[in-house]
Amino acid sequence: MFKKVLTMFTAIGVVFAIAACSEKLDAGASCPLLCPEQAITLRDTIIDAAVSDTTVTGLPPIGAEGYLMLASHGDTVETRAIIRYDTIPQTYTKSGLDSTIVNIDSAYLITPIARPDSLRRPKVPLTIEAYDIDTTATDTVAAVLAPLFRPDRLIGSKTFAPESLLDTLRIPISTDTVLDRVKNGTKLRVGLRIVSTQGVDLRVGSSGLGLGVTLHIRASKDTAASPVNVAPTSHTPTDQPFLSGPLADFTIVLNGITATPPTLLGVGGVPSRRSYIRFEVPSHIVDSTTIVRASLLLTQSPNRRLDLHDSVYVYPLAVLASPAITNVGSLLQFVGPPGQFGLDSVRVAPADSGVVSFEIVGLVRTWRGQATTVSPRSVALRSAVEGQLPGEIDFFSTKAPAAVRPRLRITYVPQISYGLP
Amino acid sequence: MMMLMSRLTTRTIATALATVALSSIPGVSAHGQANLSVQGFGFPTGQFSTRTFGTGGALAELDPLSPINPASISIIPARMVTFQIEPEFRTVTTSSGSDRTTTARYPNVFGAMPVGHGWVMSLGASTLLDRTATTVFNTTQFLTPTDSVPMTTRFRVDGAMDDIRLAAGWLPLNWLRIGFGAHAITGHNLISITQSFTDSLQFAAFTQQRILGFSGGAVSAGFQLVSKNVTAGFSARHGGNLNLSSEDTLLTSAKVPNRYGASIAYTGIANSAIAIRTSRDDWSSLGSLGTPNLHAVDAWDTSVGADLAGPKIGDRILFLRGGYRTRTLPFQTGTHTVTEQSFTGGLGTVFAAGHVLGDFAVIHSNRSAEGLSASEHAWTMSFGISVRP
Repeated sequence: MFKKVLTMFTAIGVVFAIAACSEKLDAGASCPLLCPEQAITLRDTIIDAAVSDTTVTGLPPIGAEGYLMLASHGDTVETRAIIRYDTIPQTYTKSGLDSTIVNIDSAYLITPIARPDSLRRPKVPLTIEAYDIDTTATDTVAAVLAPLFRPDRLIGSKTFAPESLLDTLRIPISTDTVLDRVKNGTKLRVGLRIVSTQGVDLRVGSSGLGLGVTLHIRASKDTAASPVNVAPTSHTPTDQPFLSGPLADFTIVLNGITATPPTLLGVGGVPSRRSYIRFEVPSHIVDSTTIVRASLLLTQSPNRRLDLHDSVYVYPLAVLASPAITNVGSLLQFVGPPGQFGLDSVRVAPADSGVVSFEIVGLVRTWRGQATTVSPRSVALRSAVEGQLPGEIDFFSTKAPAAVRPRLRITYVPQISYGLP
Repeated sequence: MMMLMSRLTTRTIATALATVALSSIPGVSAHGQANLSVQGFGFPTGQFSTRTFGTGGALAELDPLSPINPASISIIPARMVTFQIEPEFRTVTTSSGSDRTTTARYPNVFGAMPVGHGWVMSLGASTLLDRTATTVFNTTQFLTPTDSVPMTTRFRVDGAMDDIRLAAGWLPLNWLRIGFGAHAITGHNLISITQSFTDSLQFAAFTQQRILGFSGGAVSAGFQLVSKNVTAGFSARHGGNLNLSSEDTLLTSAKVPNRYGASIAYTGIANSAIAIRTSRDDWSSLGSLGTPNLHAVDAWDTSVGADLAGPKIGDRILFLRGGYRTRTLPFQTGTHTVTEQSFTGGLGTVFAAGHVLGDFAVIHSNRSAEGLSASEHAWTMSFGISVRP
């Protein structure tokens, strides 16, 4: 009997011992009665920390756009999309056998687009025209390419109803032109133009995103013949693949190039631009406290040029280049991806005004204990649709009146000893 | 023995590792734990063995496994190691609600070895003050009259002030036992503050850590007088300097609390003892170790209990224990002194032909502070195992 009791008590004891190894310590219902001094004080300060800023146009560089901007707003903005097919196959496959292309039944440009949202959807039909823009001149310059968009070089066009703008457009182009390039083994370079009775924007897929405009060739009516699909490729400049690769497709701006005045910081626009802001934050805040909030406060200046109420996401980005690089244009190309360090975007429209707050605490925390040569106190601003849509967001810069200059609001926990009861 | 010691100091190792991650640590004002017992530098576990706990603490001056009276180790006949697990299940109730917590403690590890000529040496570590607690609370901080942020603060303290004792006991006469001890007061408190915000878009959560290290010393001495029916024990500890440091910076200094106590037991029943004990701890000497808001008070600790030989299981005696204890805890809640009353019970027996001693005790404690509408109830299970190779 006693043995059973002892065994039972031992078992109970073991169970309790094992259970006790798992602590449950969280308490707090009795605060503040038993823990009245637990309050943690945050401090908040707004400082004119931005010591220099500038806007650089032409970023992202030509060929690096996510989508190609195809826009037509008359004298305000006019852009063209350029697609290069520098290698076109001369054979097609039929019943498993290769055959030389001697005739072309049809040729299309399979054109991926970013589906316009309901607010940006065109209200009237639009026409996309394709031009043969092959030339021996420097064909990345708008002034050279613009005259080539003329009737005698038109190789195809198609009109689309607004509701047909879903994800891919098929634009027929001249079979004779394509056959000529196939037979001669020469390149085909196509320029796209958008035409509408109203201002219109369309984002066309680019090879940089893996969504390049495909040249689709059907060399035979025979359904057993496989079509030939040609992806955008550029061979110029020659022997410089890091330059020629991005030029497989790109955007040129014919009308509407603007510059940002010194009192403003521009983001997006035509041509696309990014802005750079450099800070000087007191060391006693960055290095000796724990920062829990850092907001870059920018006052927006309404831009009433285009797409006034079309929202654009503006990203604050970390500048990853060291201060050894002094060219701001270069600095703005060495930026972190959106979302790095927890940096989030802000949605604004070009015509908006007022103070916009960018939360950059994740970035500011990386400055702690780091020399400015290691962790530059700077931030870049870019549009999520830079180079893709013409909307431009403007903020007042450090050269604007004091009341609207960039400011940094920092909320921090000051350094006070703790832990002593 | 070394394994047991290492388990006891697990938190110490963890805090040492955490030191690596620390550099200039910003801080905040944060004090106090959300209970009555773990105020100030923590809860005094008592430095009792499980057997002594079973008697409410009454045998503390006589029990060789309790690192109180160094004279008591003189009766240890052979090499021995002992280890103790002591989970506490605590409920704190105030007008604003209740908290139930579980704290795992390993308050006593101990080894002893006879060295000849009536001398026994021992080395052990016990918890002097356990500060392990976590407080979680929600507040709203107003940054400007129009800007506020709700936040959750988690204030965790992990660690203890430990007492490492090297003791020698001597049995010069059948009726006299004498002992001396040298104490190193060590240990760490790892303080962690984590603050998170409801608005995680604008605000980023953070965690700050700080290690407070204790270093100090004390000496102790005691003796026991033994007659046929009565055994009495007396001991005292004299505290030396006690320093509190953070990394390599000395923050505060104080004195290790002096302690003196006495137990007297009636041993006229075979294998049994009925005892009463009282002791005085000069905890107020720790007052200067904290901030001016820390109020430590000198405290009496009085108990009565019995360790009775119960029924036999085979050739083993099952010891039945019971006791009552009343004491004042060392640190006030604000300006309110915290007292504790405990009822205890326990069992003990030997296994493996007397090579293993197993003890179990359960302690039910009620803690309160006069003038404060808060109460604390705790069930503590103490498991002790001693091995004589």
